This record gives sequence, structure tokens and C-alpha cells, in this order.
Amino acid sequence: MLEFEAVYRKPGNTLFRHLLGTDPFDWWAGRYYVGLWGVVSMLFTLIGVAVLFTAVGQYGDWDLWRANVHAPLREYGLGFSPFLDGGAWEVVVICATGAFVSWLLREVDICRKLEMGYHVPLMFGFAISAWVTLQIIRPLWMGCWCEGFDLSFTGHLTWVSNTGFRYQNFYLNPFHALGVTGFFLTAMVLAMHGSAILGTYNTSKNPVQEEANVDNFWRDYIGYSIGEYGIHWLGFWLAIFTLVVSDLCILTSGTIFYDWVEFWQFQHLPAFWLH
Amino acid sequence: MATVINRPIAMPPVQHPDPSPMDDADLLGVRIGEPFRVPFLKRFGVDTQLGTLWLGTWGVLSVMLFLAGVGVQILGGLTLVNGDLGAYAHYLFNIQLLPPDGLGPAKSLAEGGFWQINTALFAGSVLCWAGRCYERLMRYHWRPYLFFAYLSAILLSATIWVFRPLLMGTWAEAPAMGLNGDLDWAQNFSVLWGNLYYNPWHMLAIFFLFGSTMLWGMHGATILATSAEGSHHEVAEIKDMHSGSHKSMLFWRWVMGFNANPKTIHDWIWWFSVGVVVSSAIGIITTGTFVNDWYVWGVDHGIVAQYGDMTRDAVNQRPVPLDITVNMSMPRP
Repeated sequence: MLEFEAVYRKPGNTLFRHLLGTDPFDWWAGRYYVGLWGVVSMLFTLIGVAVLFTAVGQYGDWDLWRANVHAPLREYGLGFSPFLDGGAWEVVVICATGAFVSWLLREVDICRKLEMGYHVPLMFGFAISAWVTLQIIRPLWMGCWCEGFDLSFTGHLTWVSNTGFRYQNFYLNPFHALGVTGFFLTAMVLAMHGSAILGTYNTSKNPVQEEANVDNFWRDYIGYSIGEYGIHWLGFWLAIFTLVVSDLCILTSGTIFYDWVEFWQFQHLPAFWLH
Repeated sequence: MATVINRPIAMPPVQHPDPSPMDDADLLGVRIGEPFRVPFLKRFGVDTQLGTLWLGTWGVLSVMLFLAGVGVQILGGLTLVNGDLGAYAHYLFNIQLLPPDGLGPAKSLAEGGFWQINTALFAGSVLCWAGRCYERLMRYHWRPYLFFAYLSAILLSATIWVFRPLLMGTWAEAPAMGLNGDLDWAQNFSVLWGNLYYNPWHMLAIFFLFGSTMLWGMHGATILATSAEGSHHEVAEIKDMHSGSHKSMLFWRWVMGFNANPKTIHDWIWWFSVGVVVSSAIGIITTGTFVNDWYVWGVDHGIVAQYGDMTRDAVNQRPVPLDITVNMSMPRP
């Protein structure tokens, strides 16, 4: 335990105790908080991993990079597939989604215990939305579980590559462009924030003076200092923006738009001002 | 053990920096504009003051070189459309100034001359901005983390625009200057060298890039969730921790069995964001110079399954795929 931890380790205030009056798993295992949702999440994880390894064993390639549980074959559409033709993939996706959502609810429990805001589980929800969009919503929309990506290291790389070329040139997908912009922007703002704190902590001045000094630097450098609260607000919303446009990027490909080169053909129409 | 729930409100921040000999030594050393308040911004919790901006010799040089580059870009673009402003506006996204063949000076402005001038101006502008960064950091007595983060970003640009073309022996390996130029370059680059997804440095760069977004999500959310107890005053929290930081640390310890602290989380985020550009630069410099087909490299090193029959490439004694058939038919409703 950390030296200040005992004060914060109190039973109660979890979702289930609130709803049902009791929570049988309201305790810690070592440094981990367990909680009812922790147990549910672990059950999903164990089933999912067991199915995953069973399928990998049947396929026969145990190499860390190549071991692959592939998405269902096209002929099974949205139905159940035989175990080795995609049934294993379906079970693993269900278990993973269940594990992610119960992990989120476990985070909610921990937030309630520590009496802090629900920002982290909210953010995790946006991260889960990427998984759900890729593996569930878009396959449902396109009418085939085969649209999901294979569960393996190089398998999902191959899926990304093939999906990009299938719609001709993914760089011309405007949501992809916004997503890449968001990813690089978060990296840049992250570097700026990390540099500001690492550059100025524990200098001899008093911290309040140092905080004002950080403001003065950014005002000199780029004309604006967003402030110590503001920088975290910016990072939070940049990450959410990035995840949302990434969801839109893949959700619109193959469902609404089939060719991102063709998408821009309107610009080759004669402009009205040239006539 | 002291737990302070409500952090005492600190003294209001000073508005203007203390005088410094570094400010007086600069010929163009003035702060332009007056602090301008936008109260609406308070709604989001971000600082309401816009300005002032330090001019400074480095900054003025950087902006002048940048504006000159924009001028050359527009001038070069206009020559491509025979000076037709309407056509320029129409084809704005696709107008590109192409790099010349070979490493010598371009034969003419149209055949790479504009590109060479623009590259030189861009490099000058970026390096002058690095000078401005370092000079201002020293003025405020920061450790130069920001300078080195910016240098690593410059390293990636320089690798793409200068170092790799030098190694490959032609400026034509660099991206064209234009709004779609970098997109086209990225697409062609990946296809030409056998699918960049199997480049391990590209994998690592994406790991850092997505990791940076994830870390901003985690760190931003954690601080916003505990900011009622002052956890966003990070410089102060590193010196003297209060309940907001306690909760931030315990949250992650209880969730995943590991936690950073107000100082080390910034080590994580600094190295993740620098890792993006450094591993990208390595991935770029090795492509086409040491490895000419990343898919074949992946098959060779056992990280990717071999799709279809392969034979040996006569020159490099590497396996290459036979009978590549790309099915471009797409399901349409």
C-alpha cells in the first residue's frame, strides 16, 4: 500500500451496493480493487482467452506474430458459424466486448469510491466505441460478420491494409484525414504539456510563481497560454475528437461510400466561376 | 498523511514577466499587443487571456522565411495553371510543386526549382523557430525538454525531405509541395516499398501515436476528474502532493495495479510523443535504402503468413509473391 492509501480504502459506495444493498466482492486483492464488475470482467476474459487459445491450437500456428483467429467466412453472413470457420471469432468478440464494458463499470465503481468525476470511464467508453464500431456495428450494417478484423498481430495489419485499398485510397477519406490530424495533434500537445511540466518542476522558485512563469512562456512563444486546467481539458477533448472521427472514418467506408477517390470527383467538374 | 480536500486558493498569477537581460539584448525584443480578455472562454475552464506575443529576432526571421515560402508556393502553383487565378482556386488541393530528379540544382524553376527553393525556405523557417524556442526557454529558465521534443519533430521532417532523398540519390524521393502532396506521397511510399504495415518501425510509431492519444485520454480524464481538489496544479503537486493527486494515483493502482505520480506521468507522455517521431524517422530512413519490400521482409522474418506461391527474387535472393491478383470489385447495393 502507498503511505496515504489506508485513508481511501473504505468499503461501500459501489453501484451494486447502491442498487441491491449488498456487494459480495467489495474488497481488494493486493493492489487491485476486485468488485463485482471485476469478477464479471475476469469471467469474460477467461472464457474469451480459453476459446481464443483453443481455436489457435486447432489452427496450429502458435507463433506470437501469426497466431490468428480469423473472422467468419462470408457465406455465414450474420448467422452463427462453425467453430473453426468463425464461430471462435464470434465468441471471442462477444467475450471481449463484455469484458471491456464490465471493466468500464468497475472503473465507475472505483470513481464512486474515490469520490472523483467519471471522466476516465467516459473516455474508456469512447475507446470501446472504436472496437464496437469495427467489430459489431459496421459488420451488422454491411450484413456480414466477415467484415470484422482477424484477431492476431499481423492479421489485423493485413485487414487494415486490405480495407484501405478496397476503398481505393484511404488517405482521401476526410474522416481518416481528420483522425490522423487528431492523432498527431494529441502527440504534439502531449509533448508540449510534458515539456512544460518536466521543464519547470522543482525549480527553486515557489510553485505558484512557476505556474505564472509557464503562462508567461507560452504567451511569449505562441501568444496564448491555455492554463493548467485548460491543457487537460484540451487533451481530453482532443482524444475524444480523435476517437469519434476514427469511428466515422471506418463506419462510412463500405456502407455509405465505396470509393474515396470517386468521392472527390466533384472537384473535377467545371467550377461555376470558370464559365 | 495529511489529506486536504479543498486546496487553498493560491495567490493570483502575475500578469507580466519579470524583466530579464535576455529581453533587452534582442534587437526586435518587444511584446506586441495588449492582453485581451475573452470571458466566454471561462466557460470551458481555459485561460481567458489572448496575447501578448514576443516578437524576437528568431521569430521574425522564421515568419519571414515562412511567408516567403508561401509566396513561392503560390507563384509556382500559378505558373502551373498559366496564371489563371480561377483555375488555381479550382485545383487548389491538387496543385503540387514536384521535386527535381537527381541531387544537383534543378534545371529550371518549373522542373523542381520551385520545390528546392521552398524546401530551403521551409527548413530555414523551422530551424529559426527552434532558435526562438530555445531562446525563450532559456529566458524562463526551463529545462530544454520542449526544445528537444521540437528537434525530434524536425528530425522526422528532415528525414523525409532531406536525409532519405540524399541516401536514395534523388530529390524525387521527397514529397511534392502542395496540400495533397503529402497524402499522395504517403500512399505511394507504402505501396512502392511493399506495404509499410509490415515495417516494424512503422508498427512502433503507430503504437506510440495511438499510445499518445490513449495517454492524453487517461491523463486528461484523470486530472479533470480530480481537479476539484487541485490536481491540475501539477508543478505544485510534484513538490507537495494533496488529495487530488492521491486519488489520481490510487484510481489507476486499483484499476490496473500500476500508477505513475504527478512527475512520472509527464515522463511517460514526453517519451511517448517523442517516440512517435523518432521511430517514424527510423522507419522512413530504412525504407528503400536497407529494405525494399516490407511484406517480403515480414515473410522472411516469420512475422506474417505467406499469401500464395512465392519465388526467389533473382537479384536480392528474397522470396517474392507470384501472380498477384488484386480483386478491386466491391460490393455495392
